[in-house]
Amino acid sequence: MAPAPDLAAPPELVLTRVIAAPRALVFRAWTDAAHAARWWGPQGFTTLSCAIDARPGGRFRVGMRSPAGTSHWKQGTYREVVAPERLVFTYAWEDAAGRPGHQMLVTITFAEQDGRTRLTLRQTGFESVESRDAHQGGWTSCLARFAADLAPA
Amino acid sequence: MPPDSLAATFAAIADPTRRAILARLASGEVSVTELARPFDMSLPAVSKHLKVLERAGLVVRGRDAQWRPCRLDAAPLQAAAAWLEGYRSFWEQSLDRLETHLRDLQETEAPHGPRT
Repeated sequence: MAPAPDLAAPPELVLTRVIAAPRALVFRAWTDAAHAARWWGPQGFTTLSCAIDARPGGRFRVGMRSPAGTSHWKQGTYREVVAPERLVFTYAWEDAAGRPGHQMLVTITFAEQDGRTRLTLRQTGFESVESRDAHQGGWTSCLARFAADLAPA
Repeated sequence: MPPDSLAATFAAIADPTRRAILARLASGEVSVTELARPFDMSLPAVSKHLKVLERAGLVVRGRDAQWRPCRLDAAPLQAAAAWLEGYRSFWEQSLDRLETHLRDLQETEAPHGPRT
């Protein structure tokens, strides 16, 4: 049985990574499409298209092809863009018909640490009223479809 | 669990008052009156939050017509946490590639810089 969840806080996924690069460069790698196209996606995936408008209210849409040849598209809207320290955006996978699935909220913080950058990523499930009302119930298949294509970590 | 249940779970726990209600219920079942006391809220306001939590399957109400105690069911929260966990591999692999990309970039930009 899974451990009892912390009921006072929403469930979230948290990852931390210390990257050997200056903070401004790491931030740019997240907000500049030419950079993001080179790394955003699992091992073995290739980028089909990468459009990023990193400013509050701006959108992104990225297409990737898995090693098995399946296309996956993700999209979202930037909520906060504070160079070079903080980035908040919504995030959803599109289903095969191009409809966005369940929205997540991703918060990235970039902190300086001895000339390197400590990156912390938090992802929470996120359901705005409009996305809940427009919900078609297709998002689990988006993840299942995607998970089936993930190369072994 | 059907997709709509997970959507309902995330919508239900987006509200801090509802999360506080769940935390309160973690210590055992209580009546609505008892539940309302520490929140300084009217009974109708608490009932409204409880309905959202009930619809999401997070709270179960007893059948006793007089008392109808509220009880926590944490299973939907565990399902939500498991669903988020499904994204760990996606991000870990992306961050591996980000590190490689930035290392290559810095080596190209500073070809005579220190190497290890």
